[in-house]
Amino acid sequence: ATMWTDSVMLAGLTLTAIFVSHTAGVSAPGRPRLTGCRSPEKETFTCWWEPGDDGGLPTTYALYYHLEGSETVYECPDYRTAGKNSCFFSKNNTSLWVNYNISVVATNAMGSSVSEPVDVDVVYIVQPNTPEDVRVLVVDDDPGPYLHVSWEKPLAADTQSGWITLVYQLRVKETSQDTWEEYNAGMQKGYNIFSLLSGREYAVQVRCKPDHGFWSEWTSPAYVQIPDYMLREHSMWIIVAVFAGFLLFVLTWTVNVKRSSVKHCLLPPVPGPKIRGFDPHLLKSGRSEEMFSALVTQHFPPTSSYDDLLVEYLEVYDVEKQELVLGVKNEDPLAPTRTSDNDSGRGSCDSRTLLTERYAEDGDKGGADRQLGQCVAELASPPLEEEKVEAWSTPFSPPPLHLQRQQVGGARAAYHSVLEIPCDSPCAPGSYGHQGESDISKPGGRGASTTLAEPQAQSAEYVEVQTVDHENVLLLRPLADPGGPDVDYAGEDYSKIRDVIPDNVLLLQREPSAWPCAADPGQDRGERSCPTALQELMQPCKPPGPLQQGLRLVANGYVDASAMLC
Amino acid sequence: LNLILSKSLVLLLHPNRHGQVLQGWLGILFCSIHGMLGSVLDCEVGGVHCTMSIEMLLDRAIQHAELIYRISEETRTQFKETFIPLALVTQQGHADHLCTVILPTPSSKSEVGQISDKWLLHSVLILVQFWINHLVDLQASLDHYDNTPQDLLDKTKWVSSKLMSLEKGLLTLIRKMLNENNLPLDNSKSIADHLASPRTMEHVMRDYTMLSCFRKDAHKIETFLKLFKCRQTDWPGCSFY
Repeated sequence: ATMWTDSVMLAGLTLTAIFVSHTAGVSAPGRPRLTGCRSPEKETFTCWWEPGDDGGLPTTYALYYHLEGSETVYECPDYRTAGKNSCFFSKNNTSLWVNYNISVVATNAMGSSVSEPVDVDVVYIVQPNTPEDVRVLVVDDDPGPYLHVSWEKPLAADTQSGWITLVYQLRVKETSQDTWEEYNAGMQKGYNIFSLLSGREYAVQVRCKPDHGFWSEWTSPAYVQIPDYMLREHSMWIIVAVFAGFLLFVLTWTVNVKRSSVKHCLLPPVPGPKIRGFDPHLLKSGRSEEMFSALVTQHFPPTSSYDDLLVEYLEVYDVEKQELVLGVKNEDPLAPTRTSDNDSGRGSCDSRTLLTERYAEDGDKGGADRQLGQCVAELASPPLEEEKVEAWSTPFSPPPLHLQRQQVGGARAAYHSVLEIPCDSPCAPGSYGHQGESDISKPGGRGASTTLAEPQAQSAEYVEVQTVDHENVLLLRPLADPGGPDVDYAGEDYSKIRDVIPDNVLLLQREPSAWPCAADPGQDRGERSCPTALQELMQPCKPPGPLQQGLRLVANGYVDASAMLC
Repeated sequence: LNLILSKSLVLLLHPNRHGQVLQGWLGILFCSIHGMLGSVLDCEVGGVHCTMSIEMLLDRAIQHAELIYRISEETRTQFKETFIPLALVTQQGHADHLCTVILPTPSSKSEVGQISDKWLLHSVLILVQFWINHLVDLQASLDHYDNTPQDLLDKTKWVSSKLMSLEKGLLTLIRKMLNENNLPLDNSKSIADHLASPRTMEHVMRDYTMLSCFRKDAHKIETFLKLFKCRQTDWPGCSFY
């Protein structure tokens, strides 16, 4: 019974074992795969395969082949020489220009499987061994050292009989870099490498290939150290560079020191538009009054002495279009042309500004002229000339309809448009006086009111200058009242204007006789006018002698009225 | 004979499309007085007289063979890519089976070592002549396809012309170096039958097989010529050290 139970137990165990092995997944092996075949010298070759799943059981592999055109199947002659999972075909087993049909069979207890067959012709799978005996020499030469690399053919390759023809390739890299530089050496077994950097270490590798086949592996790198050297050209360039750098440094330092003058030289400051006394910042602030106040100079109208003064310039407009231009020409040749047409406002405008400047320069020098000007000039223009008058009204010019008489503070001393002067009373000498310094700081300060009526063409009256006193005040009296109160008339003489010649020069008639100073109404009315301290006009009625005496020719040919005092 | 040779000389010297200077030079040799190695042969390049040594002629022959092999490989690859669909590629291995040896050629280095110089040159000549004939058939077959690339046709024509040049050079070499007056073997018929036997194959596969076999034989030609050369001279490729 014991024996029976033992055998039963044994059978049971065996069955269990088999059962267990089945449940563990044991099966026939998976298909192996031929990974490749190579021939190093075109005389032998080796094939490798990769096993598939072994199915959990020990598996054996066998390689079988047959040649093309033959059905005979052979097995691999040598499984060992080339290592595991390989088959080595010796010289006797190798035929060239013949296709081998190779396959691998894997067998285990459960079954077997066959790999895919592969066709191989030995002449097409040649991959030689690596070249032998790579040597690297550093050769000193004139510009710099170079490398001479030499090697030998792989041992097994038979190049001597011409069985294999090998070509070689080498590559070089600096050990610290990553990229290789490749050179083809053809069939020769030596090569020179130039242009290497001094003081660096290089690695060299060589490989070869048959005329039709695969490249071999690279040889293990051979290291070499290039000695330090300096190229001659480099030395020279270094010297040049240092010198240039020094020069540059000196130059930069100089420029830095003379920074401002260099800047001035290279980028000359562009003079911006500027008006003297004008502050552009005030413009920005938007306060025009202050801005304009800056433009108004303190001593305007200029108060220079009459002697220094440029004579004033008057334009006289006749109501009935007879224009009489009385002008005291500026010495300043800048004065524009004075025409006797309606456009002459331009001239007076300009002269006005010129005189203004001049006055500003002269400062306070007595303003007699101004007053005179003020008195006379304010002849209202005929209505049709209003625009023009307006046009050439500078900030200093009063509204043309206003008589200047009122505007003691008027800034426009020099400008006068001589128009019809109503001259009801205002030109009476007594009404004018030396007004003192006119306040020109306020261009708007001129008196607004006009006592004189607006001139009408028909009702125009004339005034005549009675006299000019020592302070250059014009004393006027209206023509309409020849017998008018006229304190100063007594004993005064008048000059008669004979003609007005170009350049606004009045020609006075010299008549020694004392004749009424009033102009003959029948005469050219336009010739008489109130205005101002103009030389020739202002002639008190003196005989020519005194006239002549009193006259003093100023440089440009005009008579200086300053000496003409009654 | 001289006239024939001079005419064949001119034929040899047309430039090849790869522009290799040396290739264009291969000239047929004139019948010269002495057939010793190292003697100078007369040649003609486009009407210009030149001279050439036997080594140079051999070098030219080898270069021809190298070029022919390279073009045969390109032609085969191009044919495969153009005409053989992917499904049939797996059968490619079988195609090479039919490339049985036309004539017994050495199949290993040891066998080659036993062959005489004469036999080497003759083998090469036979191969060249065989393929001159069969490439004509191949070209005719290629013309029948609808979408044959012109490049492919040009290549086959070019190879044929180069083969003919090579043949003439070989004849001269044989004459000069072996002192033989050899007539071309007339084996073409039997060879053609041998190759054309598998009728089960499609035309495409047959042509592909033919190209494969041609490639193989071109390789043979090149190898044999190099072997022959190394036997005769100290060529740098042959040097041992």
